[in-house]
Amino acid sequence: MKFKARLAAAAAFLSMSLVAQAQAQTGPIRFGWMASLTGPLATAAIGINAGVQFAVDEINAAGGINGRKIELLTRDTAGDPNKAATFAQQLVLADKVDFILGPVNSGEALATVPLVARSGTPNIVISAVEECIDPVKYPRAFRVINTTGQWITAADDYVVKSMKRTKVALIGDTTGYGTVSVRNATEDLAKRGLKPVYTVLIDPNKTDLSDEIAKARAAGADVIMPWSAATGVLARLLNARGDAGWDVPVIGHPSLMALPIKQLLNKPSYWDNVYGSSYVSTSFDAGGKLPERTQALVDKIRPKLGGKDIDILFWWIALGYDAVKLAEHGVRKAGSTDAAAIQKALETTVDFKAVLSTLSYGPGKRDGFPDNNMAIVFANTFKDGNFRLAPK
Amino acid sequence: MLNTLVTGLATGALYAIVAMVFNIMFSTSKVLSLTTGHTAMLGGVFGAWMITGLGLTWWLALPMTLLAGAVFGWLTETIAIRRVLASGDDHLWVLSTLALGTIVQHLMALWWGTEPKPFPRLITQDFSAGPWDQKYWLPMALAAAVATGLALFYKRTMLGRVFTAVSEDPFAARARGIAVERVRALSFAMAGALGALAGFAAGQLTYAFFALGMWLTLSGFIALAAGGLGSNLGALVGGVLLGLLSAFGTYFFGAEYQQTVSVGILLLVLLVKPAGLFGKSVVRSV
Repeated sequence: MKFKARLAAAAAFLSMSLVAQAQAQTGPIRFGWMASLTGPLATAAIGINAGVQFAVDEINAAGGINGRKIELLTRDTAGDPNKAATFAQQLVLADKVDFILGPVNSGEALATVPLVARSGTPNIVISAVEECIDPVKYPRAFRVINTTGQWITAADDYVVKSMKRTKVALIGDTTGYGTVSVRNATEDLAKRGLKPVYTVLIDPNKTDLSDEIAKARAAGADVIMPWSAATGVLARLLNARGDAGWDVPVIGHPSLMALPIKQLLNKPSYWDNVYGSSYVSTSFDAGGKLPERTQALVDKIRPKLGGKDIDILFWWIALGYDAVKLAEHGVRKAGSTDAAAIQKALETTVDFKAVLSTLSYGPGKRDGFPDNNMAIVFANTFKDGNFRLAPK
Repeated sequence: MLNTLVTGLATGALYAIVAMVFNIMFSTSKVLSLTTGHTAMLGGVFGAWMITGLGLTWWLALPMTLLAGAVFGWLTETIAIRRVLASGDDHLWVLSTLALGTIVQHLMALWWGTEPKPFPRLITQDFSAGPWDQKYWLPMALAAAVATGLALFYKRTMLGRVFTAVSEDPFAARARGIAVERVRALSFAMAGALGALAGFAAGQLTYAFFALGMWLTLSGFIALAAGGLGSNLGALVGGVLLGLLSAFGTYFFGAEYQQTVSVGILLLVLLVKPAGLFGKSVVRSV
């Protein structure tokens, strides 16, 4: 009798597990999307979110992935690493999502990537800081964006090879990102046999940067390279340079191209001779044309963004779109939402034609963004969220 | 070096006005409201919005900005101070004012955006004026005017004497027929308007930025503690000292040490002269 009861209980448990497993493979595919939609770091996340939403809607309208719709669970982290960590745990443990997308900012990603990795959930990483990726510690974390090092290398390449400048004034802010970037940039310049003639870190609240510009000038700098994401710092730098009447080229972080800078400049001409680290895929060529895949997304998404000129950096939109499309590719190639199968599918992905780049991964390679897509653009040529390539 | 001096004086003047705003509220409530810097932030944001967003001239935008600041000051007293003081808890205002400041900052981020925005030029002047640019001398002139105005207000006007009476002994003031709660609310409204004026005058220096509040609260507090709690002359000297030391500290040692310089000043003054440079030591009978 006892044996029969145990057998019945085991059979019931087994059938329930099978039903649950079958439901898990037939219900909606759940993507957990962590974005700092409010707070001090919201601007980029709002742009990326537009791409994420658009890609999810597009896939669902076409019938979903292998007949299963995507259910997007968006969590606003407000730029707070603690909140991001809490949401990451909630998404993987309580909501049992099949994928984590994000978070957007490096500080948040550094907090969440290890947590997500511990749960075994695949993670599409969209922050650029190098430490977020480790094929051994975080084997299911795949980066869809470039690294900060790629931004720096692209800018240094342009300064040395195209501009033929050697006297670099290196400027960062006192945030973790600014400090690390200046250190990395110093190391990258050292590999080229260059030592900055002037290096300084700036408090983001400093109200005037005339001293820094005067010191860079006195040190004999022939190019200024700022590595800060703070538009206030960058605008003050350009204003101090312009007010001093010093037409030295400025080349550095992509935020130099952000539209809020334009509003903060004392004169529009202060944005001349300024270059940002960017992408071939979001740049107009000499004939004024965008690459085919980028133009296709611009045309598709424009009606959703109001039908007029796009006033968000387009690479943000493309990044969000690519994150979802890469996750979709992983599920399709794996044939299920099994995390191990998705890992295998993504690490054998080569030449995945995303919008922002063509991504390639490998068994020991989780950074799939190619160096040849990095480019330098004129900061003041914003049109539909894209820019004009600077001449080589 | 001249530029460092002028920048230090201008930011120091802003810290000094914020410190005086602390004083006005403290005099009637014995509360150091953590929303003090937010009044200046609101002045900068509302001023920029009224001039660039609504298209008002600055002389129309200014009184409306002051009114907005006064309303915020009054709301601070009503929401975060009055009930806390009535409950008899001496220090709960730290939490209530911090909470209100955080709420205001988040609301401004949602409405105004998270990127700094420009504050328009108030007087026609080319940007090549260097150290004579209005963004420097407007806050400096305002700080001098506010310090003088407050000295006259407290000494020469009936309302100023009422403030002093409430500050020195609220129980005796109430016994003489002064509505202490009403005076306190009025002092917060006045402080709010003055903070908004500081933000308006220094807007070209700081930009209209939602996250300025806590930075100004901290800097204003350090200026106040260094100068002496309750002394407007001390607030002026403390603010200018803090601005100059921060500017020259950054110039000679780098921005990594800017915060160290600020907090170092506070620590040094508290060790050497706990009541601040111009503060009065309180004698407690035992």
